[in-house]
Formats: sequence, C-alpha cells, structure tokens
Amino acid sequence: MTNTKADIKAVSNTARGNILAKLKAEVNGADYKKLPEEVSFNYPKFSREENLAQFISELEKNHAQVIKTTKENMAEVISEQLKVLNITKLLYGENDSHREVINALDSKVDLQAYDFSIDNNKEMLFNECPAALSTSRCSIAATGSIVLWPDENEPRSLTLVPPVHLVIVDANELHADFASLMTSQQWQDKLPTNVVLVSGPSKTADIQQTLAYGAHGPKALIVLLINI
Amino acid sequence: MKHIIEEESKYVASAKAFRANVTRDLGNEELRSNFRGAMDYLMDKRKGAFSSEDELEVLREQCKLIKQRCLAKLPHLLEQLEGNLEKNGIKVHWAETITEANEIIAQLIAQKKGKSVVKGKSMVSEETALNDYLEERNVECLESDMGEYIVQLAKEHPSHIIMPAIHQNKKQVAKLFADNIDGFEYSTDVDTLIQQGREVLRNKFCQADVGISGVNFAVAETGTLCLVENEGNGRMCTTIPDLHIAITGIEKVIEHLADVPPLLSLLTRSATGQAISTYFNMISSPRKLGEKDGPEEVHLVLLDNGRSQAFADEELKQTLQCIRCGACMNHCPVYTRIGGHAYGTVYPGPIGKMISPHMLGLEATTNLPTASTLCGACGEVCPVKIPIPKILLRLRQESVKPKSQQPQVMKGQGAGRNNVEALIWKVWAQVHKSPTMYALSMWGLTRFRFLMPKKLGGWTSVRTAPKPAATTLHQRINAKQKKTQQSQQERG
Repeated sequence: MTNTKADIKAVSNTARGNILAKLKAEVNGADYKKLPEEVSFNYPKFSREENLAQFISELEKNHAQVIKTTKENMAEVISEQLKVLNITKLLYGENDSHREVINALDSKVDLQAYDFSIDNNKEMLFNECPAALSTSRCSIAATGSIVLWPDENEPRSLTLVPPVHLVIVDANELHADFASLMTSQQWQDKLPTNVVLVSGPSKTADIQQTLAYGAHGPKALIVLLINI
Repeated sequence: MKHIIEEESKYVASAKAFRANVTRDLGNEELRSNFRGAMDYLMDKRKGAFSSEDELEVLREQCKLIKQRCLAKLPHLLEQLEGNLEKNGIKVHWAETITEANEIIAQLIAQKKGKSVVKGKSMVSEETALNDYLEERNVECLESDMGEYIVQLAKEHPSHIIMPAIHQNKKQVAKLFADNIDGFEYSTDVDTLIQQGREVLRNKFCQADVGISGVNFAVAETGTLCLVENEGNGRMCTTIPDLHIAITGIEKVIEHLADVPPLLSLLTRSATGQAISTYFNMISSPRKLGEKDGPEEVHLVLLDNGRSQAFADEELKQTLQCIRCGACMNHCPVYTRIGGHAYGTVYPGPIGKMISPHMLGLEATTNLPTASTLCGACGEVCPVKIPIPKILLRLRQESVKPKSQQPQVMKGQGAGRNNVEALIWKVWAQVHKSPTMYALSMWGLTRFRFLMPKKLGGWTSVRTAPKPAATTLHQRINAKQKKTQQSQQERG
C-alpha cells in the first residue's frame, strides 16, 4: 500500500471533474420546464377501519404477530408472550412514552435498558439479548409497515439484533400509504440518522425460493397495537 | 493495478466465451430445471402483486417519467446529492473506473486498519470485483446476503441480480454447507440451512470492522441512501461495524424524497411480487453525538464505469432508467433456458445485454445483444418502460457499423462487423432500390434456383436450406388475379 490519503482524494477529484464534465456537456442548455407532466395513480380512500384491517392483514401475511391491546394491559401481554417463547430477559430503550409499561414489567421479567454504547458491547448485544421492546413513530396501512425512527434512546440495533422484536404501534398514527405519510409529515425537511420501515420478521427465499424466517435480524416480530 | 487489469480481462474473456457457455449450460438438466422453477415462481408472484392492470400501467408511466426527469438533471442532482451528503457528514468519492473504485475502498479500509468486511448485497461491488481485490490485500470480505453467501462459498458469481443463488437447489446448498461449515449436520431442510447460515454470519457481523453495501436510491434533496432488503443483513452491515462504505452507479440518484414511494412500490412488486420488502432502510448520516450505535464514518463511492457513455446517446440513455428489479430476466425465454452464468457478465439477462456493452466494450460483448429472440417480454414487464428490444437492435447496429464511422457512440464499435455479410447487405440494398435490378434478380433467382447450396453455415445446422420458388410472389398474384377476372367474365 503505497497510496496515501491525498492520492484517493486526487483520484476522486479528477474522476468527479471528468464525470460531471461529460454529463454536463449532454444536458447543456436543457430547459427543465419542458419536462412532461408526471402522472400518478389515484388510490381509493379508505376508512380508518379499512386501513386498520389492511394493516393487520398485510403484517400477518408477512408472519408478524399482531396483538390488539391497551397501554394498561401491555405489561401483562408482553410477559405472557415472553413466557410462551421461554424468554426471561428484555432489552428496551429508555423512552418516556412507555415508562409505565416498563415499570409494570419490572417485577415480571429481567429488564435491561439500552443505555450503553454498542462499541464494547457487541458480544453481549448479539448473544445475551433474546428480545427487545421498542416504540414506533407511525405506520402504513397499504403495505403493513411500521416506521421506526431510532434516536439516542432507542438505538438502531435495538430493533435489529435481538431475535424477538416487540414493537408498540399506535393505531392513531396509522397512515394510508407511504407517499401521503411522507408528504403530511414533511420528511424532506429533516430526516434523522436512520429511518427504517419494517414489514415483518427478517426473511429470505434465497434457497430454492422457499421462504424461511429469521435470516439475520429478528425471527419474530410481535406488534402491540394500541388505541384501536 | 496489475491484478485489476487481470480482473477486467477475466470478465472480458468470460463474456467472449458466451457461445461455449451456452452449449455447456443448455446441457445441464439440473440447472435448467432450477431456473425454470425459479422463473415460473417469480413471474407468478409479480402477476399477483398488482391490484389492476390500470394501476400497473399508471405506475410504470409515473416511474418512467421520474427516472427520465432525474436523468435529464443527472449532473446537477449528483452535485446536489454530494452537497447534502457532505452536509450530513457522509463523505462522497467519485470513480470513473472499477480500479479507481476498488482503490478508494481499499484505502478507506486501510486508513481504519480494517481487516474484516461484511458485505450487504451490492451488484456494483460485483461489477468492480471488489472481493478479490480486497482479499489480495489481506482483507477478509464476507458476503452476508444468504444467496451471495452461498455463491461465495461455491466460488461462483451471482446468476441473478435479485436471487444470486437461484441456480442452486437445496441439495446443492446442503452439500456446500457440509463442505464448508464446521459442525454442520447435514440437512436439506431450508429452515435448518438458513439457521446455520444465520449463526455463522451473526458472528461475523459482531466482529467485522467494515460494512459495505449497495444503494437502491440516493436521494439528492435530503442526502439519503436507501436500501431495500428482506433479510436484515443490509441493516447489519450499515449499523454494526464502525465504518460503512456504500457503492453505487451514478444513475441511482433521484431528485426528491417524494420520488421514493412509487419507485419502491414498483421495484419490490416487479422483483419478487412483494408489496414492500421486509426492511426499507434510509440512511442520512453517520452516528451523531450522543447516539449509541451506527458507524462513526459513512462513505459513498459513485461509479461511472461506462454509464456516461450510455448517457451521451438519447436512445441508449434509457438503459440508465433501470432500477435493477430483475423482472426482465424473470420473463426472458433465453435467460430461463441458458441461466445467468452463460452470459459471462456480472449482469445477466436482458439488462445485462444492454448495460454490459457499455462497461466492457462491444468487442467483449458482441454476442450479447444478439442473444435475444426479440419476443418483447422484457420491454413489456420493465417497470420503467425501457424499450429493451429496441435498444438491443440498436446495439446490434452499433456492433456492425464500420469501425471508423463517426460519431463513435460505443466503445468497440464495429466489433461484430463481418465484411462478407456487410457486402451481401450492400448488394441486397442496391438490388431493392432499383426496379430493373430487382426484376433482373428475380428472373435469375427463379431460373437458377437449383444452384442454391445445400449447406448454409449455422442456418442449416438445424434446418434444411431454403430454396427459392419457381415463380415470384408477384407472378403468382398476377396469375391468380387473371384467373379471377376470367372466371368473372365467364359468369358475367
């Protein structure tokens, strides 16, 4: 390795200049006002109930488990689910919105807050955290997708590494489709480090088109649906 | 450098071996049955994914126009993308050739003293032969997409851009795992196989210091890299290691965030018939202060590798509309029969036949544009309405043009030109331009038809030679008309 950092910078700069020059020579003088008007499909409007039914049906088709519950009953539901799965430990993000659920769970399961940096804790995260609980920002009916908006309290790997992911979804935050959601919340103005749409447990059909769940991420996605 | 030149020539050689590859793979019954099964499955899935023909057609038109707009503004969008990514803390690098791209990536890894790389699925990194390049520099490079992992264990290349190991069946995968994974208990149960792969790969995610991924859409407006996947390995590669390097072709940039939903919807439905993939991952910055995970550094490498050549021609430019869904190969009768490896190029099937000549030049890929029946299925299913058969015809023309004819649109122009063939067509054109010559030629052909040779090269290897008729079509119609008139007169 004889190259230094300056070298790849120079390579990149030269390439940048050449590529942009070639492309610009082709679009020189283009009048973008003359671009054809774009069409879009008018999807029928659905009622709240129809959207909810669609959301649940899409998720279930994709092997997610959807449980209708309330904030009050949630701790009970979670501990039951963990018991069924033979899991005694739960990783969670420190988030005020579900503080009471966490408090109520305290006596039922071994709780661990994600209050550490991943840097020296990868082994622990991968090998000693069988399940995780997270919140969600909103959801999408058309495709049965849950919008995760990770932050300091709920890190990206919280919903990725543990084999079981329990996620709280508020039915009042259900949107008809991805396009209308983005527009209504003006995503283009400010996006966080990472946004993920999750529509089921991790899966693959890479071996002989046979679907198998739990490829790399969570093997199970349990959706705790409130405010229905 | 030397190594990469060898790499390039390896691809050139393998693309040149097309005819031999086809003969080899057509004779492999197991392979043909694997592809037939997989393509039937994927065509079925796509068919069931759209609520109505109307929705599909409107979406295709919409996405075609989106991609055409983004291409019309390409250089400006690339600059805007770069500006917004840098503002978000993501470093942008540019590469004209695959060698440059590999060098940039190798240097970025070396600066971090990286030794172990996990890769999410990236066809562009296949294009640059990145794995081999890094292995030579003692960096372990592990494919983590299940299909790519299988292909890597088998020391092969992907045979399909969406389902890389589609050419293997579960028995073959089981054997591969038994040969390569310590402690693997032989099983052909797909769940068991995937769980075995999961164990191996999760350990690697945990230990790797670098994650490399591709990009499905790069949003200029927000400086966001979007990844579409089902397995979660893409999220792993872009979340767990300290350093994330994304690599993509310059045509993947889109203007607005609002362009994402229709493109995404059409991509997943065209590819696998899914309403959406399990994960849609949008990355806009490295780890911020106070965040507990995510890579400290994120880099994007933008690769040209022949794309700007396609961009310079109004018709061939449409090639760059491609969103890499693979529907064209799923519906291609040629691909289904010969499989993905016979093409000898990184991108197989109709999309490969269109894009590879720009990457490798027409000398290496002369046969590819001709490996089509022009049945039109690829063009009909293409989600962004690329007129694939038309473009293949155009590439055939470029390949038989005189080598020196200006302007030179393609690298390797005229590589498929055969002087005898060119002369025959020249004479044919002359004959058809002049009524006298035409009449004379017909006169000769009908009289001297017995001189037609019995053997006509490739044509007669599976067919009998055609023989001109004793009378021309004109003569026969004239005779028929005369007869009709006569009988009418007799009746009248």
